[in-house]
Amino acid sequence: MAQHSLEVIVENSPGVLARVAGLFSRRAYNIERLSVGPTSNPETSKMEIVVNLEGHALEQVIAQLDKLINVISIKEIVPNAAKAIVHDTQPDYQN
Amino acid sequence: MSQMNGASSLVASLEAAGVDVMFGIPGGAILPAYDPIFSSSIRHILVRHEQGAGHAATGYAQVTGRVGVCIATSGPGATNLVTPLADAAMDSVPVVAITGQVPSVAIGTDAFQEADIRGITMPFAKHNYLVTDPADIPRAIAEAFHIASTGRPGPVLVDIAKDALQKLTEFNYPNSVSLKGYQPKLSADAQSILDAAALIAASSKPVFYVGGGVIKANASRELLELAQLLGAPVVTTLMARGAFPDSHPLHLGMPGMHGTVAAVTALQKADLLITLGARFDDRVTGKLSSFAVNAKVIHADVDPAEIGKNRFVDVPVLGDLKFTIAALIPALKVALAKNRPDLTPWLRQMNSLKAAYPLGYDTPKDGSLSPQYVIERLGKISGPDTIFASGVGQHQMWASQFISYENPRTWLNSGGLGTMGYAVPAAMGAKVGAPDTTVWAIDGDGCFQMTNQELTTCALNNIPIKVAIINNESLGMVRQWQTLFYEGRYSNTSLESKRIPNFPMLAEAMGCVGLSCDRPEDVDATIEKAMSINNQPVVVDFRVNRDAMVWPMVAAGTSNDEIMIARETAPDWDSQEL
Ligand SMILES: Cc1ncc(C[n+]2csc(CCOP(=O)(O)OP(=O)(O)O)c2C)c(N)n1
Ligand SMILES: [Mg+2]
Repeated sequence: MAQHSLEVIVENSPGVLARVAGLFSRRAYNIERLSVGPTSNPETSKMEIVVNLEGHALEQVIAQLDKLINVISIKEIVPNAAKAIVHDTQPDYQN
Repeated sequence: MSQMNGASSLVASLEAAGVDVMFGIPGGAILPAYDPIFSSSIRHILVRHEQGAGHAATGYAQVTGRVGVCIATSGPGATNLVTPLADAAMDSVPVVAITGQVPSVAIGTDAFQEADIRGITMPFAKHNYLVTDPADIPRAIAEAFHIASTGRPGPVLVDIAKDALQKLTEFNYPNSVSLKGYQPKLSADAQSILDAAALIAASSKPVFYVGGGVIKANASRELLELAQLLGAPVVTTLMARGAFPDSHPLHLGMPGMHGTVAAVTALQKADLLITLGARFDDRVTGKLSSFAVNAKVIHADVDPAEIGKNRFVDVPVLGDLKFTIAALIPALKVALAKNRPDLTPWLRQMNSLKAAYPLGYDTPKDGSLSPQYVIERLGKISGPDTIFASGVGQHQMWASQFISYENPRTWLNSGGLGTMGYAVPAAMGAKVGAPDTTVWAIDGDGCFQMTNQELTTCALNNIPIKVAIINNESLGMVRQWQTLFYEGRYSNTSLESKRIPNFPMLAEAMGCVGLSCDRPEDVDATIEKAMSINNQPVVVDFRVNRDAMVWPMVAAGTSNDEIMIARETAPDWDSQEL
């Protein structure tokens, strides 16, 4: 299965890492790798999440992640592709 | 802007959010808030257990469509809210919970009555906050109400450190809320509506699979118009009872584990599921791989993560159902004008199933009271304007099956979490939200013993609900599974509740009128007696036959095709043309 990397911009608020990690654990999705770092905007952080999922399962992860109120946008970095797929999370991929 | 402490800012924020009632219990960490509550216009109802506060907020919200509010102290007060908040999450109910937290300097030290309620509720709450700066209180409250009540509704918790309630702050309630990561979509894309209309006009065996989302979206009237326009059969899930009138000829009843043969079969044999605010729950689909195998799926919902979660979807329609259905009606008219499939053979098949396999029950030979009969009479005598709130178990399934629901927001139950103890406090909240409506709790003898203490709250606060205990002296639903799947080995399901407790006496002790009935010929008079008492809560102990079972049944994990109408009895499929 191909590894997919998600670039997730989140609000820099307390507990946001726990929310994301908790979502993966509760929905029984495996995280291959996770890193968190700052962005140029002090109010947001960037998470890079690598998962071993594709197709429908990957779509579900993205949809569930996007439901977190503190998640602002999700970009999928496709392996071996020059361009990233930007998930149309604004505004219609929201709940 | 004016200077006040955080507690006053909290109460002023709740008033600004339009709160008229809240249910709660004070304690150390939340105590500062109870001082301004004392002089607030908001009615505070002092419950006897925080679980009751949470379910009452839920019942209030389900009946009114407004946000229900509950409030508790830190530690055990907050953890007692966990069950009702998880319940509200599973059933998409807009609830805001306010909890006190230990002072901010003590957070993380295992201080007295400290519990990380934000962490505890994180997996299921729609969102939650820990507020340690009093200046953040108004914004947190405004956001909490916005998040709870928009999109797919759900519970939001605001945990506030005690020192944030005590410190001075400016009160400044935001005029509007804007959240970068949360913009629920209201109206569906025009293309998805057109695609849905085209697919409907191309199908000859469509069925409306209606879930609780239709009630949440206040879209019952639109649904009626759409269903009549197409003339296709309708099924309403446990959460959607009342979304479409039970008396309507197109209604086939409830699908799922204890659904009608017609409703279950309609889903199984359909060539198109027009799914409106439902989520393909396992209690509806049975074994997923054999569910509606020949059906295409239109899935309209406000929550994008539900669309395609359990079942592949051909046409996703993302948006608020009120807008979606309203847009679908004219689009479908256009599509049907071009091509109108003949649904007559399909309707004839379904109506023949409906006629051949109506819901029914055996009357006990020993002259004892049948639980289904009691519930049927309750529905008939009290009528379609009544609000019914049920517990969880056999009585819940019978209350869903044998009462005719004609209006949305008249049937409240714990569908997703299946929370025993829901009925009495939810009925209390419902009665507060609809004081002029008759509210009956239909409860099990097991469930009733979990939360009946809120009858004291009802008696003291002039909340005259009525409770029908369907006393089969057992954890009946579990006992039914033991009968069917564990060779009748009744391990720990006998409650002996015809002996202890004495329910009418217990009711009287809590300031209610207690009645009892164990003969079929007394049922009507007992119900009428209960209906005539409106200045006090009433509890009726209906002492029923313990061996009655819920049918039809699709055993857990099996295919809907394996539906049984009685023990070891499948429908006579050969006599049906399907
Ligand atoms: C809090 C909780 N604990 C346990 C269960 C499991 N359970 C489901 S139905 C049921 C029996 C309910 O008994 P009763 O209230 O008497 O209703 P009956 O089935 O007899 O009508 C039990 C124990 C549950 N749903 N909720
Ligand atoms: Mg029982």
